[in-house]
Amino acid sequence: MFKSLIDDNEKRSQLSIMAQYLNTSFMISTIENEYLVNIEKGVVKNVEEGPFVMPSYVFKLTAPKNEWIKFLQHIPEPGSHDIIAMLRRKVLKFEGDLYPLMSHLLYFKLLLASLRPAESKNEN
Amino acid sequence: MKIEKEPISGQYGKFKINGIDYRIYWEEAGQGIPLVCLHTAGSDGRQYRALLNDKRILEKFRVIVFDMPWHGKSSPPENATVGNYKLSTDFYISQIMSFINGLELVKPVVMGCSIGGRIILHLAINFPDKFRALIGLQSAGHLDPYYDISWLHRQDVHGGEVCGGIAYGLMAPTSPESDKFETMWHYMQGGPGIFKGDLFFYKFDGNIGNEIKKIDNSKCPIYLLTGEYDYSATPEETKSLADTIGIEMIKMKNVGHFPMSENPKEFLKYLHPVLNKIS
Repeated sequence: MFKSLIDDNEKRSQLSIMAQYLNTSFMISTIENEYLVNIEKGVVKNVEEGPFVMPSYVFKLTAPKNEWIKFLQHIPEPGSHDIIAMLRRKVLKFEGDLYPLMSHLLYFKLLLASLRPAESKNEN
Repeated sequence: MKIEKEPISGQYGKFKINGIDYRIYWEEAGQGIPLVCLHTAGSDGRQYRALLNDKRILEKFRVIVFDMPWHGKSSPPENATVGNYKLSTDFYISQIMSFINGLELVKPVVMGCSIGGRIILHLAINFPDKFRALIGLQSAGHLDPYYDISWLHRQDVHGGEVCGGIAYGLMAPTSPESDKFETMWHYMQGGPGIFKGDLFFYKFDGNIGNEIKKIDNSKCPIYLLTGEYDYSATPEETKSLADTIGIEMIKMKNVGHFPMSENPKEFLKYLHPVLNKIS
């Protein structure tokens, strides 16, 4: 689900400029699965899919899979269009040291939104 | 080279607010019924650039937009220090009334968004006879904190980056990217701690409970319009507010928390009929 964050870094080069001093690892959880994302100088260098035995990361974003699917639609519905909107609805939880996330908030929002399809299609 | 000039003029003036002098900047265009527009927390009057350029509105309304003290081109007061700014209900009401009195506006319409959409409720409760009508954009009676606003003002986090990031998500994915970027840019230009200081009003001091029931729509007509993508003041919260007042709310499709700035074209479709009723 989030593996393709590593694809097409060229497309995300503008994003990496927004986080050129950022080196971090964070976990995305869909409850049933986990994805460990490693970022170096704003570039996604690796995405590892769980399960993990002893994952090491700085912060974690947890939401049920169906909520992430709603977030990743071409045009998401109100309340699913933004990670803070999901936080507000209490379907997404931020955990850990949130400094890298909050100091690069727009970067992370756009990074996750970059997984949305360019055109509408039925997704599951 | 010929440039395309806008009909907007800007001016500075000194206003006494709660006994203290403030240098305030405002812009205006049009003629007729005064329409004072209030910007959102942490931003400035540029949010209303489309209204100030809308020929149809300018034929009947004198649109006036001021930057709140500490925002945009308005100055902080003398002897100000960084980090102590907190918008109280009293100071917010006082600056609006000082501005209206200073410009000698008689029974203006006041339209406010977000914190502005909240303060118009306070105006309706306290001074219903002073206004021709009140328009609340993204109005809710109260808001419980749903994220830690201390992130908005920390010396180890760039305030412009984080405030911009927060504002960006409040807009609809369907709004034009250029208008969304400009809206976010205003947030990125705010002074340290100002957005957070405004939220003191929005999330604490300005919360209204049962006092909403004091609003009498027959004394001063109130119009409430809320964008569907707003998760700060949701359409459901505006609906609950409208039900208490006994009026209909207008839910705006394809816009979020900053309708006049993030998608003016869409917003004006909803605003024109409201202004027609008022005029």
